Amino acid sequence: MPGGDFHPVFFVIVAAWILVAGIGVVAFHNIVHSAVSMIFCFLGVAFAFALLNSELLAIIQILIYVGAISVVIIFAVMLTQQQTGGFKLFFNRQSAFALPAAVAVAVLLAVFFISSKFLPKGDVAHNPNVHSLSALLFNRYVFPFELISLVLLAAMVGAIVLARKEDDR
Amino acid sequence: MSPVDWWLLLSALLFCIGAYGVLARRNVILVIMCLELMLNAVNLALVALSNFLPGGQGRGSIFVLFVITIAAAEVTVGLGIVISNYRNRRSVQTDDYDELKG
Amino acid sequence: MTALAHVSTVLKVATALVPLLPFAGFLITLLFGKSLLRRRADVVSLAMVTLSWVFSMYLFVHVFAHRHDVLDWNVFSWITSGSFHVTWGFHVDSLTAIMLLVVGTIGMLVHYYSIGYMRGDPGYYRFFAYLNLFMFAMYILVLANNYLLMFLAWEGVGLCSYLLISFWFTRKAPSQAGKKAFLVNRIGDFGFTLGMLLMFLTFGSLQFTNVFGKAGGAGSATLLGICLLLFTGAVGKSAQFPLHVWLPDAMEGPTPVSALIHAATMVNAGVYMVARSYPLFIHSHAAMLVVMCLGAFTAIYAAGIALTQNDIKKVIAYSTVSQLGYMFMALGAGAWAAGIFHLFTHGFFKGLLFLGAGSVIHAMGGEQDMRKMGGLRKLLPVTYWTMVIGALANAGIFPLAGFFSKDEILGADFNAGYWFIWIVGIITAFLTAFYMFRLIFMTFHNQSRADATVQAHIHESPKVMSVPLVLLAIPAALAGIVAGWPPDGGWIHKFLEPVFFNAKAETFHWAGLDGGLLLFSLVVALAGIGTAYVFYIRRRELPVRVGERLPWAYQASVNKFYMDEFYEKAAIRPTMNGASWLWTFFDVKVVDGAVNGVAWLWARLARVLRPLQTGRAQNYAFGILIGVLVLVVAFRIF
Repeated sequence: MPGGDFHPVFFVIVAAWILVAGIGVVAFHNIVHSAVSMIFCFLGVAFAFALLNSELLAIIQILIYVGAISVVIIFAVMLTQQQTGGFKLFFNRQSAFALPAAVAVAVLLAVFFISSKFLPKGDVAHNPNVHSLSALLFNRYVFPFELISLVLLAAMVGAIVLARKEDDR
Repeated sequence: MSPVDWWLLLSALLFCIGAYGVLARRNVILVIMCLELMLNAVNLALVALSNFLPGGQGRGSIFVLFVITIAAAEVTVGLGIVISNYRNRRSVQTDDYDELKG
Repeated sequence: MTALAHVSTVLKVATALVPLLPFAGFLITLLFGKSLLRRRADVVSLAMVTLSWVFSMYLFVHVFAHRHDVLDWNVFSWITSGSFHVTWGFHVDSLTAIMLLVVGTIGMLVHYYSIGYMRGDPGYYRFFAYLNLFMFAMYILVLANNYLLMFLAWEGVGLCSYLLISFWFTRKAPSQAGKKAFLVNRIGDFGFTLGMLLMFLTFGSLQFTNVFGKAGGAGSATLLGICLLLFTGAVGKSAQFPLHVWLPDAMEGPTPVSALIHAATMVNAGVYMVARSYPLFIHSHAAMLVVMCLGAFTAIYAAGIALTQNDIKKVIAYSTVSQLGYMFMALGAGAWAAGIFHLFTHGFFKGLLFLGAGSVIHAMGGEQDMRKMGGLRKLLPVTYWTMVIGALANAGIFPLAGFFSKDEILGADFNAGYWFIWIVGIITAFLTAFYMFRLIFMTFHNQSRADATVQAHIHESPKVMSVPLVLLAIPAALAGIVAGWPPDGGWIHKFLEPVFFNAKAETFHWAGLDGGLLLFSLVVALAGIGTAYVFYIRRRELPVRVGERLPWAYQASVNKFYMDEFYEKAAIRPTMNGASWLWTFFDVKVVDGAVNGVAWLWARLARVLRPLQTGRAQNYAFGILIGVLVLVVAFRIF
């Protein structure tokens, strides 16, 4: 993927993809449609990572988000019985209030980001390539790396325990 | 507006879309999906900043790595809880999860 | 008067020991009296009070030899706050010496007397502890060299008075009497405090040497204020009208207490204080007038009540109030030495009368009502004769002590031009002689009116009680001649000259007005005794007939001119009602209302806010979002 400078065309394509998919997640009544939309969104984000010189992260994003998380979610969808019905069934009572709130947050953030001056014009640095990233990961951040493995272990055990069928022992 | 600002704007919008979803939908699994959206938005912001800010040395990328990992773990456990709850009360509607009502 | 520049260490130590020894006695007796000493709990206190007496006699002798030297020194600095500087210090001059003599001697004798009177009482050790504490406070009062220290001791004697009046606190009457004494005293103390305040504002100090030195320079209105306020304290402490109501009730205490505190020492504190403030009072003629008039009124008022009282101790109590009035009459008229002279003699014969009454009560097994006495003359000879001496002295019969001091007062009033006061004094003298001998005749003469069981137990008191009686009878009889002869020019007047430096000893004119007045008052007193003799020995139906003829007068006298009822209606009932109203309205409705109201408010608030807890995480998440929104905006703006 072309690194270095900012390519407006690619950016717009990627941005539109992500946003449309995101709105899809939120708007579809059918949950499977939402799940598929989410997958597209993840793909879009992966594309975005690639645009930002993080090829490693793009691949990891696809592997994990699309490959693992989405699958888990679809599993969960399958295991639970979904209802069919109208708008009231899918959107709760506070949705009317949540919309302006979310919009307000979006506007605020936009205003802040645009008006803040902490960034120099143009790009000064680049994201590291795989080589430097792994150097960082295994030298400087090796401790969190080990901890993460413990967290994953805990999550695995936890998930198994939670999803186990109740036995009458 | 520098490039970073555009990426941050995108991240903000995605974040808010996810936030709306978390707040407005009745299906718990959908809520978790929207949570993932929000996390992705954050990841996006991090990577963008890490790319454009001086002196970052890829710390943003490392951070994102960890976020992705934790997100995976969190989804797993969270959905385990949802399945468990579903077994007990046969519903994935958030309105039915109100036993801590005061 | 010149203050001595240097006071020898011996004198300083002796002076300090005088109050400190009884204080040590108090502590030791209180702490160890129940456990270690038990029945011999009095030993320490007796030893201390005797030693104190020895040292105070030493001081007296010293002052006697050097009467123009005034000793005033500070022991340590007590309060230093800005310009307010007060010390613990002692002031010894002729006036102090006289007070030490009275306080020390009578105090010591009462201590010994109490061995017999209080024998077998479960609170024996406590009694002696309190007596010692009282001696400590009283000594400090007369030895103090500034008004604040005197006030501290003033409160101390008030405390001891309360403790000792309500000594048998398990009964209701003594407890209430103690409370009454303390509260009424407090009113006077408030005046005293205000006086000290004004004094400090005017003179910048409360030390005697400073205040008296500047006394002439103050404005007359200010001085009048100070003197009157100080006098209010004296009115309370010395039981003058209208703050006299506590003294008769104080008779609920054991008789030695009545003798010591309410006859010979504490009630004199007011007189002493006014006498000590001589340099202030002589500059305020109006204040002296007030003192004199109030004293005169109290004298005749109390004598009027004593006429009809049936409790032997109450008669003597009202007599004390009356005689204190005489003392103030003297001070107010400018006869300072005469007033102190009367204090001196009165201490002895009143103390004697009380102790004698105690002896009678002891013999009668606790009976105090004179209507149930009689015929004790042959059975209690020592008591009888000493009490007769005391009564004669009180009535003012030549040559006993009271004659000299009382008549000097009357003479001084007349000579100073206050002949109306003199008339009041003469009438009171008649009444005094009358009620005193009414007491003697009812108690000791005629047939016994007591029950047979009581009669069987009547016996003379043990030596430890009767010896003090005899010892007191001697000065009661002789002190007048020894100290006060010739009138206005006797030893005591010369002795007190350095203190009352403007009132010189005058010469007494035998042939002429002075002698005539003397003779007249003697005749009046004898007439009083004679009338009592007629009423209570010869024609005993007379008291009842007079009572029937003048029922309102009799009722008024018996009911103490309704002062207690007046206070009840005017002060006590409104205060109680006010307090009750405060309770029902303010405490219950406002305070409790506020507290309960706060609780109710929170409960309502909680009920209103409870719907916020939906139990649904999404609602909470929404709240979080709003919160974040607000925070971000706030950070941005500020």
